[in-house]
Amino acid sequence: MLDFQQYQYAFTAHIRDPENNPIPNNVDEERMAVYREGVYQNIFESASVCFPVCQATVGGKDWHLTIRRFIASHQASSPIFREIPKELVTFLETDIATPAYIKQLAHYEWVELAVNSMPDAKSDLSETPDLLNEIPVLVPAHMLLQYDYPVQKISATFKPKQTETTHLLVFRNVDYAVNFIELNPMVYMLLALVKQSMTGQEALIALAEQMQHPQPVAIIEFGVGVLGDLMRQGAVLGSRKLTNTQRI
Amino acid sequence: MSKLADINGVGLGLKRELIPQIQRHFQHKEADALISNIDFVEIAPENWLGAGGQYAEQLAWFVERYPIACHGLCLSLGGPDPLNTNFLKQVKQFLSDHKIPLYTEHLSYCSDFYQNKPGYLYDLLPIPFTEEAVHYVANRIKQTQDILGQRIAVENASFYLKAPIATMDELTFLNAVLTEADCWLHLDVNNIYVNSINFGFDASDFLKGVPAERIVYSHVAGHYQQKPDLLIDTHGTDVIDPVWALLKEAYALFGKFPTLLERDSNIPPIETLMQEVDKIMALQTAAANVTRSTQSAV
Repeated sequence: MLDFQQYQYAFTAHIRDPENNPIPNNVDEERMAVYREGVYQNIFESASVCFPVCQATVGGKDWHLTIRRFIASHQASSPIFREIPKELVTFLETDIATPAYIKQLAHYEWVELAVNSMPDAKSDLSETPDLLNEIPVLVPAHMLLQYDYPVQKISATFKPKQTETTHLLVFRNVDYAVNFIELNPMVYMLLALVKQSMTGQEALIALAEQMQHPQPVAIIEFGVGVLGDLMRQGAVLGSRKLTNTQRI
Repeated sequence: MSKLADINGVGLGLKRELIPQIQRHFQHKEADALISNIDFVEIAPENWLGAGGQYAEQLAWFVERYPIACHGLCLSLGGPDPLNTNFLKQVKQFLSDHKIPLYTEHLSYCSDFYQNKPGYLYDLLPIPFTEEAVHYVANRIKQTQDILGQRIAVENASFYLKAPIATMDELTFLNAVLTEADCWLHLDVNNIYVNSINFGFDASDFLKGVPAERIVYSHVAGHYQQKPDLLIDTHGTDVIDPVWALLKEAYALFGKFPTLLERDSNIPPIETLMQEVDKIMALQTAAANVTRSTQSAV
């Protein structure tokens, strides 16, 4: 390590964890505070904008300590500013002091930001959608999610004591608005299969088999209805033809 | 396709809050001259790289209508961790995709190597001004220029703390880095002023010592006075008179060069901001007149 880098090491170590790392030798406390507090404020503000529910649920004092732990022990790998919240989500996953439902709530709050700025992708759609015989195409900016807690209900007054599997589809519509749809487990599985390039019919038959449903036809009718609804809501764009290469 | 020569005249730092306002005035520009003095805009790649949806649409709108300069924040030219070449390659693609002719960065660092792992701190930290640091930073600038296949500019950063291990002053450090890396200077006039107060030197003397031939464009901005001898470079207030005077002096010394207004927080409506944009324009026009009269006198 070069000499000036040893100084830099002591400088940022103090910024990250002032309780355990003293101010470098011969450095003025007041000027050092500008950096120590500046770094904290930047990251705190970025986190507060993205995680208002986490902050309210955890409470002001504990949230402050959470951000302090994040700065002290997480090495953020992305230079992109909108990925700072993702860095916090990653940190929380292994943070012992954070309850499991807060880890998932943080992810859920980050999802809105992530879907809002997800890159657009071109989809090769058939002219006339056929959600049964072709592969239903979800809008590219979407996430299909499963949580162990009802993340959308968590608040300062509702902190879940037990798990409750929750399925969500989060997508960005043509007007760039991010929409959240709560799914039942069957629709979640249907969309997961469709995302693996199954046609609507293939996915629904697979689903009926998995459920050992006595009337597969009823499942197919139900599924087509659901996909049609999702298309009206803008979550499904249409359908595309199955090509041989897609199956390999 | 924008080229470097299109980064000219007066610029405005592009903030999300300003975008709908600029778009509205632009639509009626025949009847509405409010924003006519904006010649170019500046964006941080760290805010726009990889962003889809409405952000991609907004960026495309500006690419079609304005020359754009990229002013980076997180390359960490002075950082102890390895230069993020993967990020640089993304920047290169970004510049190419959006026809952006110029990339500039700060003479500072924003990442560390804490517990043997690189990590970003997302703030502009002060490089200790030592001989070793000159070579180290110059090498990283050269590496950057090699990867991008183009020359970059570095900005004289604002700072609040002089490293006790420093062996030279800021101006000596700046000049040594620029010479060794053979890069351009992104001259921040406000930062000269901020540092002159924070460290008690003469801003005008500093200005006279910068290599004019390397200036590619400049910044003016407002700052926050925390104490009489401590200014914080917030870009959150109006540009103050001593900074305007310093810009005027720079034009008189070096001839006019492109200049951009930075406003990053506490952002007023575009009507208010344009008063400062127009003021840059007026100073440039006055400077041009001075140059002409000098030439005709010769």
